[in-house]
Amino acid sequence: MKHLVAIVLVALAALSTSSSHAQDAAMVEAARKEGKVVWYTSLAIPSSTALAHYFMSKYKGIEVIVNRNGSQRVLQIVMSEAGASIKNVDVIHTSDAGHFVLLKGKGLLAQYSPKAAEVFPAGFKDPAGYFYGMRATLSAIAYNPRVINEKDAPKTWKDVLDPKWRGKEVTAHPGYSGIIMTHVLALVKQYGWEYFQELAKNKLHIVQSANDPAQVVASGERPLGVNGAEYFYYKTMKQGNPIKIVYPKEGVPLVVSPTAIAKDAPHPNAARLFTEFILSKENQQILADKEGLYTGHPEVTYPKDKPMLKDLKLWPVDAEELEKRNAELKKRFTEFFGA
Amino acid sequence: MSIPGTRVAEWVAEARGLGFKRFDPTLPVWIAAALFVIFLMLLPLGAIFTTSAYTEKGLSLGNYVEVFTDPAYLKAIWNSLIISFWVGVIAVAVGSLLGWLVTRTDLPFKRAVRALVMASFVTPPFLGAFAWMLLAGPNAGLLNNWYRSAFGSETALVNIFTIEGLIFVMALYSFPYVFSMIANVCELISSDLEDAANILGANKWKIALTITLPLTAPALIGGFIVAFLHSLSLFGAPAILGLPAGIHTITTQIWAFFQYPPRLDLAAAFSVPLLIATVGLIALQKKLLGRRGYSTVGGKGGQKRLLKLGYLRWPAFLLVAAILSLSVFLPYGILLKAALSKAWAMPLTADNFTLGNFSFTFFEYSDTRNAIVNTFKLGILTATAGTLLATLLAYITNRQLLRGARYLSFFVLAPLVIPGIVLAVGLFIAYTRPPIVLYGTIWIMFVAFLTKEMPIGFSQTESTFKTIHPELEDATRIIGANRLRALKDVTVPLARSGLIAAWSFIFIGVIRELSASILLFTPSSKVVSVVIFDLKEEGQIGAIAVLGILLLAVSFLIILSVQWLAGREFFAGSRG
Amino acid sequence: MAAVTLKGLTKKFGEAAAVDRLDLDIGDGEFVSLLGPSGCGKTTTLRLLAGFLQPDGGEIRVDQKVVSSASVLIPPERRNMSMIFQSYAVWPHMTVFQNVAYGLKLKKLPGGEIAKKVERMLRLVRLEALAVRYPGELSGGQQQRVALARALVVEPQILLLDEPLSNLDANLREEMRFEIRRLHEEFRITTVYVTHDQAEAMVTSDRIAVMHQGRIVQLGAPEEIFDRPRTRFVAEFIGKTNILRGKLENGRSVALGDGLKLQVVAADNLAPGKEVFVCLRPHSVRLTPSAEEAEAGRAKGMNLFDGVVQRRVYFGDANDYIVELPAQRLNLRVVAPPTQRYEAGQKIFALADPQQCVLVGEE
Repeated sequence: MKHLVAIVLVALAALSTSSSHAQDAAMVEAARKEGKVVWYTSLAIPSSTALAHYFMSKYKGIEVIVNRNGSQRVLQIVMSEAGASIKNVDVIHTSDAGHFVLLKGKGLLAQYSPKAAEVFPAGFKDPAGYFYGMRATLSAIAYNPRVINEKDAPKTWKDVLDPKWRGKEVTAHPGYSGIIMTHVLALVKQYGWEYFQELAKNKLHIVQSANDPAQVVASGERPLGVNGAEYFYYKTMKQGNPIKIVYPKEGVPLVVSPTAIAKDAPHPNAARLFTEFILSKENQQILADKEGLYTGHPEVTYPKDKPMLKDLKLWPVDAEELEKRNAELKKRFTEFFGA
Repeated sequence: MSIPGTRVAEWVAEARGLGFKRFDPTLPVWIAAALFVIFLMLLPLGAIFTTSAYTEKGLSLGNYVEVFTDPAYLKAIWNSLIISFWVGVIAVAVGSLLGWLVTRTDLPFKRAVRALVMASFVTPPFLGAFAWMLLAGPNAGLLNNWYRSAFGSETALVNIFTIEGLIFVMALYSFPYVFSMIANVCELISSDLEDAANILGANKWKIALTITLPLTAPALIGGFIVAFLHSLSLFGAPAILGLPAGIHTITTQIWAFFQYPPRLDLAAAFSVPLLIATVGLIALQKKLLGRRGYSTVGGKGGQKRLLKLGYLRWPAFLLVAAILSLSVFLPYGILLKAALSKAWAMPLTADNFTLGNFSFTFFEYSDTRNAIVNTFKLGILTATAGTLLATLLAYITNRQLLRGARYLSFFVLAPLVIPGIVLAVGLFIAYTRPPIVLYGTIWIMFVAFLTKEMPIGFSQTESTFKTIHPELEDATRIIGANRLRALKDVTVPLARSGLIAAWSFIFIGVIRELSASILLFTPSSKVVSVVIFDLKEEGQIGAIAVLGILLLAVSFLIILSVQWLAGREFFAGSRG
Repeated sequence: MAAVTLKGLTKKFGEAAAVDRLDLDIGDGEFVSLLGPSGCGKTTTLRLLAGFLQPDGGEIRVDQKVVSSASVLIPPERRNMSMIFQSYAVWPHMTVFQNVAYGLKLKKLPGGEIAKKVERMLRLVRLEALAVRYPGELSGGQQQRVALARALVVEPQILLLDEPLSNLDANLREEMRFEIRRLHEEFRITTVYVTHDQAEAMVTSDRIAVMHQGRIVQLGAPEEIFDRPRTRFVAEFIGKTNILRGKLENGRSVALGDGLKLQVVAADNLAPGKEVFVCLRPHSVRLTPSAEEAEAGRAKGMNLFDGVVQRRVYFGDANDYIVELPAQRLNLRVVAPPTQRYEAGQKIFALADPQQCVLVGEE
């Protein structure tokens, strides 16, 4: 049923592209007059700078100012600036869907329906039209095959609780990363807080970003990552580093990272143009090909050496629940892990 | 503020009191400078105190209760105290040993040693922590890998992600303060005091123990206090080495209070005891070192004779070299390696070699480009404004231009007493909402840096002015120039080298500042230290190494230029 | 007590010799001053004696035993000497008592004995009331007495003093000069005293060694140095003097030019016709306005000059005159008692005993 709807929508979209060309040109012109778009994003630095470059080479004359930080930090800065009436940001993008529930509730987002998102499935769209899923990734387990044998490697989430991994594991932090926030909520719903209480006994090395474990695992500093952004693990692996990813069969947390336009965006047209671009099939394909990401776009194809989303058991989380339990998740995690 | 009429009356009274028959037209300048400085210091402090004392229920101690009954927060305080204590002990032991060796013995290559100690001083502690992370991470750290391959062991030699590791790294970048204090005191001790003991029958060890050590005791305690306070206020090193091991300190906890949703009231309440402790310890330290009697008792004519180390000469040098390689050679080496490698943990083979990190940092990542520009802008702005202000203020206090000039220097030096992150909390509260909103611009950073770094500029200009006789200006004024003119035409040119030194101290202090920047930055006002911190959270090792090298290179360039321009050596015997 | 011998002692700093082949014999219990201007090498010699410096050549012997040479250096702590410094060098972190007791503690004497000795010594230098004070609370003179007590209490073989009174004011200096001499006569320790102040040297010493450019230019008792200076340098350094230049006619007569002849103390080994210098002390000249007195003096064998008073300066305890001798175009400096007042322009006669006219070397 979902697929039928998608196909219909795609057909409609194809039909309406010709008439929307004129509209597009006007938006591009207006965007060029504004000259730049300011993007607060939690997408990894190499990926976000690459994306900015694609945009800038396609739309010459419009600069993309990339401000990259962990999801929780991005939110903090957005809220601080809003509180001080500073109007700096145009497009907001993090991996914590709860943020957008919050921002929408506070009236800080602009309502905008990008044409590109018309083909997206429900899970990638806010019904009220304030935010859209730009990318999706999983939180996965990864290990260094030079240090850990394939047969010894953990296969399930519970496997990482084994005391034999003491001193060998690394985790990222929900206080920084939206991906990890989602991961923690998903696992708490599955296994309760006892899971993390048990895990903490293994004396994990704590990093902040969901992308940092990749470097830690690849260098052998801690050869086993108990969570982390799957797309970044994948990218690091493709660059030739020693990483193997594990997609536990019992389920994998799915993280949909929304994007939205700020209500008081100083460059609204550029913001809209940029949003159209990042949700376009062209760009979404680039995200899939070059950045190891999953997308909501039904026509995007994925590399052969990656599992398809439909072949995995996914654990999605509800955005409202993420928003409500944000403080609790951070606090309890910190309680168990110390910082 | 008082009524304008009374202000003028005060001015006139002041002018009369100074023996002027008519109104000195330059007086407003001095008063403006003084008021500005007082305002600068009092506003953030006031903001902290008021915010900490208010909860939803109005004026209350609720925040303090919340902060001091939570075991996690108490643990953070305890961690900070333990760490700072041991850092103080180690810094004193190492700093005084080196200070004594360099000033009173025939240690070889003294100039090189002084230069390397200065290099340790200039290295931002967070950068040192980062480098040591690469060197001594238990599994991937270079030193541990060497150890494992050399001795075939399974375990690591050292794990830097521990309290001990944190203490070690922080001590490495705190001991230069103690070194310079001890070196200064040792230089002042006349050899006669030692010779007198010598001829009465004491050999060199007895002399060191019964004469030299007690004479330097006040400086040793003072040095401990400085090292203690310095490490108490550090943010970057504990964040880099402590957080991964689940260790919180006061500073990282304050930073955590700023995560969304921010708890400014708790941050303020947490800061107040830190402030009080700092004030108390600084007062104690001033009292101890204020007893100048120790070095100046006696008549003129003391000589300086160097102690011959004899067979211990080269072992002492090797020890010194070992210490300096821990703070300089090893960290700088690994930074260079990481900057040039694709994978920092792998050996630097032709395969692994890349200049990609440099091109990424300078050309591809807009954050770093903007940050570099911001850092230089802020550095130059703050250093120039700070030196100007410090000059005016030192002039006021030195020539006693205003009544209560003594108290003015207290205000100027007050920020030494405020840990950077606490200052940032105050500034954040004060300048993030109307009437004055500086948040989001580089101006809030400018205010923070100016407040924080001016003491060091002031102490430099103050000691410089002490060496210039007031009569030189009086001669100018008799001819008809007013005070400002005399200052500009006579004093400033004479004080040139001191002023240049003040400028460069402030500049270097600004470009490596992290603990205040980390709370006050917004995306458009990022500075290099903050970007390094961001990149660290992303694991972008190569880019961090490049930025770190940039910071160090600029700092050294400034110092060498200053030495060439002003013809003075930092940490050379006589200061000021 | 010990006898000290310096033989051929040499110390170079760079190319220059601060002490240049110095010879000196100091007897047991003798008080010898090294007197000279700054830079003459006296302090260097003292520090060589103490063992703080090692000679480049020559040797130092104490009671026949070599303590310093180019190859041997007994360290200061084992020489059984004491030293007193210009800066006093009393330790500010110890009380007066602790300062004085330091050397005795090093000798590991029992506490009771130390206390006795220290108290006795403090009484001797009249500081017993200040035993528990710190040097920071004492005056310069008191600090120097602490240094003295500290140095003497250990009963050293040799006492070395390096310009100890330079930092004291004039009155105190005078008082301390006598004090030092008094203590020397009490204890009779072999003492070497370095100073640039000839009054100090005169008051305290048995013998004075006048030093110049690293060498001893004259060694002798104070009277000898003052009355019979051997060189021009010594004559001018010790006290005020007039130096008159002339040609030696025979053993006892010097022609000053323009017909004036001066009878001098006999100089044996100088050839007639040689150019010489005559040292005549201002105190040794007697002025009189009376021609009869002048004649009477000349009849007794005095040298007589006649001249005009050019200038008079009143010092309270003396009048300092410049007398111009027109016939010889010479200015003679004369010190006269305060009651002898002559005005500028007054004609005057000057009489000088030949015994006070001493031939000195060029040096």
